[in-house]
Formats: sequence, structure tokens, C-alpha cells
Amino acid sequence: MEAVFNFFRKLWSDFYDCFIAHDFYSLYLRGLRNTVIIAFGACLLGLIIGIIVTCVRIAPKKLFIMRLLDKIAKIYVTVIRGTPVVLQLFICYFVLLKSINSASLFGIKDTDGIFVAILTFGINSGAYMAEILRGGINSVDYGQTEAGRSLGLSWTKTFIKIVLPQAMKSAIPTVFNEFITLIKETSVAGYVGIIDLTKIQKYVTTQSMKMYMPLFIIAAIYLIIVLGLGQVQKAIENNLSRGERNHAK
Amino acid sequence: MQNEVIVNVNNIYKYFDDLKVLQGVSCDIKKGERVAIIGPSGSGKSTLLRCMNLLEEPTYGEVWLEGKLLTAPDPYLHFDVIRASETYGRLMAARKSEHPDESAEEADIAVIADIKKNDLLKKHEGKAYRSLLRSTEKNNRTGINLARRDMGMVFQHFNLFNNLTVMKNITLAPTELGIMSKSEAEEKAMELLEKIGLADKADAYPSTLSGGQKQRIAIVRALAMNPKVMLFDEPTSALDPEMVGEVLDLIKQVADTGMTMVIVTHEMGFAREVATRVLFMDKGNILEEGSPEELFSAPKQERTKEFLSKVL
Repeated sequence: MEAVFNFFRKLWSDFYDCFIAHDFYSLYLRGLRNTVIIAFGACLLGLIIGIIVTCVRIAPKKLFIMRLLDKIAKIYVTVIRGTPVVLQLFICYFVLLKSINSASLFGIKDTDGIFVAILTFGINSGAYMAEILRGGINSVDYGQTEAGRSLGLSWTKTFIKIVLPQAMKSAIPTVFNEFITLIKETSVAGYVGIIDLTKIQKYVTTQSMKMYMPLFIIAAIYLIIVLGLGQVQKAIENNLSRGERNHAK
Repeated sequence: MQNEVIVNVNNIYKYFDDLKVLQGVSCDIKKGERVAIIGPSGSGKSTLLRCMNLLEEPTYGEVWLEGKLLTAPDPYLHFDVIRASETYGRLMAARKSEHPDESAEEADIAVIADIKKNDLLKKHEGKAYRSLLRSTEKNNRTGINLARRDMGMVFQHFNLFNNLTVMKNITLAPTELGIMSKSEAEEKAMELLEKIGLADKADAYPSTLSGGQKQRIAIVRALAMNPKVMLFDEPTSALDPEMVGEVLDLIKQVADTGMTMVIVTHEMGFAREVATRVLFMDKGNILEEGSPEELFSAPKQERTKEFLSKVL
């Protein structure tokens, strides 16, 4: 009994030393802020890129320009999916950012790591997102498109009114899976000196001399974010499938 | 006579890579006619039907709806276009030196026949040819989305929109295309649903319906556009046997309204009863056609006899 009590007291004091003492929590908050900014920005950018690339991939290929864009989109997806995200981050940060800086374009400062991180993770996620969305669209029976077209609806109208809503429904779980992966993937942003949530561990550990506690605290914060996202997913899925349940009022 | 033709299929070929599905099929569908297309699997029946509203684009040949061209013009089907080509000019000159005593008309016929037979037209045939082909297209061709409004299509697998209620399935196209207002479309849809006894399913989703109900609603969906011709692509092939009857009954009702119809079917009894003309297809060609009595009781072709002996 005594031992258990001591264990918890030790745990609490460690937690206090690593979270509350020296205003460490504000450090975590700073890291969390950066992680959320990067993750949210990258999710948004990834979704936009994904939608654009998907549109290019599935649109009718009658014009030469559409075939050319399709080729470019294919190369983009292949290259991005075929290389590690850490390397892409290095390339963006050390090669592209530096060369842009030397040309003094856009007025980006050396320290503007967050911008680079959003760009990198967004571009990376866009490739996966494009494949996810394409999969969702392909999962819709082609007969749905044919039926729409046979009634005189244009390709675009059929796509928006018939195919997209059905594709969204089947793609939502995988889209959120990608969001979750992306949020956790941003933890490598520290490699290029961005102060994200994972990077905070180093500061807290060196100052508090506690090895394990900051790790668990950070793990818990990631878990909470992902759980929250899971709730959002559930709400959206419920909303989308509402139609099917309350048939024949 | 010419005015009565609703759909005109002119010498169409359809190739899927190396597979030659249609090999020069021509047919006219006249107003009020009910044409049944029968034949073994893989004979090109469905492809012919799908070519009529361009769900499949013919590789060669033309499809016309009420005097308007749906496909791109096929140069081989327009003599004036052939005559404008460089190949024609070259061959005519050669012909003249070879047969100096031949009249111009005879030479013209022979050269055109030669060009058609041996597929001699190239991609580039000079300015006159190109501009004539373009003006032929401009004068005759109509937008496919506009044309499809006049051609209702019923599919083997129903293809009701899974994300919409029965009511929305029926009203989507008329309202989206601005043909009817929302209330008009709903009124019309309700009227049609009442006719087939499915008014209580108006707010149901397709996934909750039986195959027969789905297909009857698919027919109603096509009818709601007030089409001039209805195309049925094996409407009962995906149904349980006990549901075939209700769908065939509805098609018969539609037939009784005087609707022009083209039906690809394996239901020989139904074809015989409803159709005014039957086409028998095999290997991408129309082998035989005639009234149901002629074709079913006294088929002329050996292949037709063989097929009918197997299915009847």
C-alpha cells in the first residue's frame, strides 16, 4: 500500500517538475501551437492539392492540355509517395528555401521554418489525398455516371450531384486516417529547427533532468488531438449516412 | 417518310481495341415503332443500343436523331466531302488517263467506291476537304446533352442514384436542366409514381427497394423527361424471376401510350408480344429483321433458326 502511494506521489512530483514548474506548460503550449498550425495548414493545403490533382486525373481526356496535366499529376504523385517526408522537408528547407532566400524572393526569412513545414507536409499529403479521393470516386459504380449522362446532365453536373456525394462517403474514413497520420508526421519538423511539440521534450528534459515524463506528456497531447479528430470524423459520417437510415418517413 | 425517322444509325462500326463489336450496322427507328433487338451474347446488341445515345461513341459511322447529327460526321458517308479530298482528285486524274473513254459520272462512282472499299482517306486531305467536313459538322451536329433529353434510357442494373431519394431521382434531371420547376417536376413524378403504385416510396432511398421496384422507378425516371424514344438495355436480365412480370407489364403500358421504343431483350415471348419489328444480331451485324411473326415463326437465316431453336 505504502509502495503504491509512493509511486503515485513520485509520479505527481515528476509531472509537476515537468509541466507546471518553471512555467513549462507555456513551452508545451508554444510547441502545441506550432504543431497545430503546421498540421492544420498542411491538412488544408493537402486537401486542396488533392482535390485539384484528382480533378485533373479523372476529368475527360479529350484535350491535349488535359492529357499533359494528367501526366504531370501522375509524376507528382509517384515522386512524392516514393520519397521519405523527412527528405522532402530537408530538400524544401535547405535547398529550396535557401535558394529562394539568396534570390531574395517573397522576403522569406531563414527562420520561417513553419511556412516551409506547411508547404512540405501539404505537398506531401496532397499526393496521398489525391489517391484517396480518386479511390473514393472510382468506388462509385460507373453506371451512376451513365445514368446521369443518359438523362442529359453534363459530365460536371453528374459528377457534382451524383458521383461526388457517394465518393465522399466512402472516402471520409481514409481521408481522416490521412489527417491523423499527417498530424503525427509533423513531429519530424524539429529536424529543421522548428519548435514543434516533439521538440519541446528536449528543452524540458534538459532543464528538469527528468527523462520519461515529458515524453509521456507529449504522447498524451498527441493522443488527445487525434481522439478529438476521431469525434469530428464520427459526426461527419453520421451526418452523411443519415439519409439512408430514415427511409420512408 | 423521312420525317418519321426518329433515330437513324448509319453504317456504324465499334471497336474496343482489337475487338470488333459492331461491323457496319445501319437501321432506322421510326416514330411509334417498337423495335426489339435479339441475338446471342456478344453479338453487339447492347453496344448498338448504347451507340444510339452515344454512351458508346461509334468508331466510324453516324448516328442521327430527328435529322440532327449526334456523332462527328463520317467523311465516308458524305460524297461531297469525299470529292473534296486530295485522294479523290489524284485518283480521278489517274482514272482519266487509264480509261480515257469513260464518262465523268462513271469515273466518279468507281473512284468513290474504291475509296470507300479500301479506306483510302487520310487524316489530312487538304483545305477544301477540311472546311467542307467542318461545315457539315456545323450545319448538322447538335450537342449530345441536348439530344439525350429526348432519349430515355433504362439500364440492366437500374442505376438509380443511390444518394438520392426516389422523388429526387425522378426530379433531378428535369429541374437541373431547367425543363420544369421543382413543384411541376414533383407533381409529375408523384403522378407517375401513383400510376405504378409506388407513391408511398417517394421518400425512400433506392437501397431499400426490391429489384423490380428499382427498375420500375428507373423507367419512370426516364419517362419524366418526356422523351421521344425510350431505349431499354436488357431491362429484366438482372431481376429475380418473380419480379420480371411487373417490369414487363410496365413496359407494355408504356408501349400502349404509343412511345417509340428500342428494346434489347432475352425475353422472346415479350419481344414477340410487344415489338412491331424484331432485329436479329450476330457477330456485330444485323443478320435478319422483320415482323415478330415472320422472324419467330419463319426465320430465313440458318443462324437465326439455330439461335431460336436454342432459346424458345
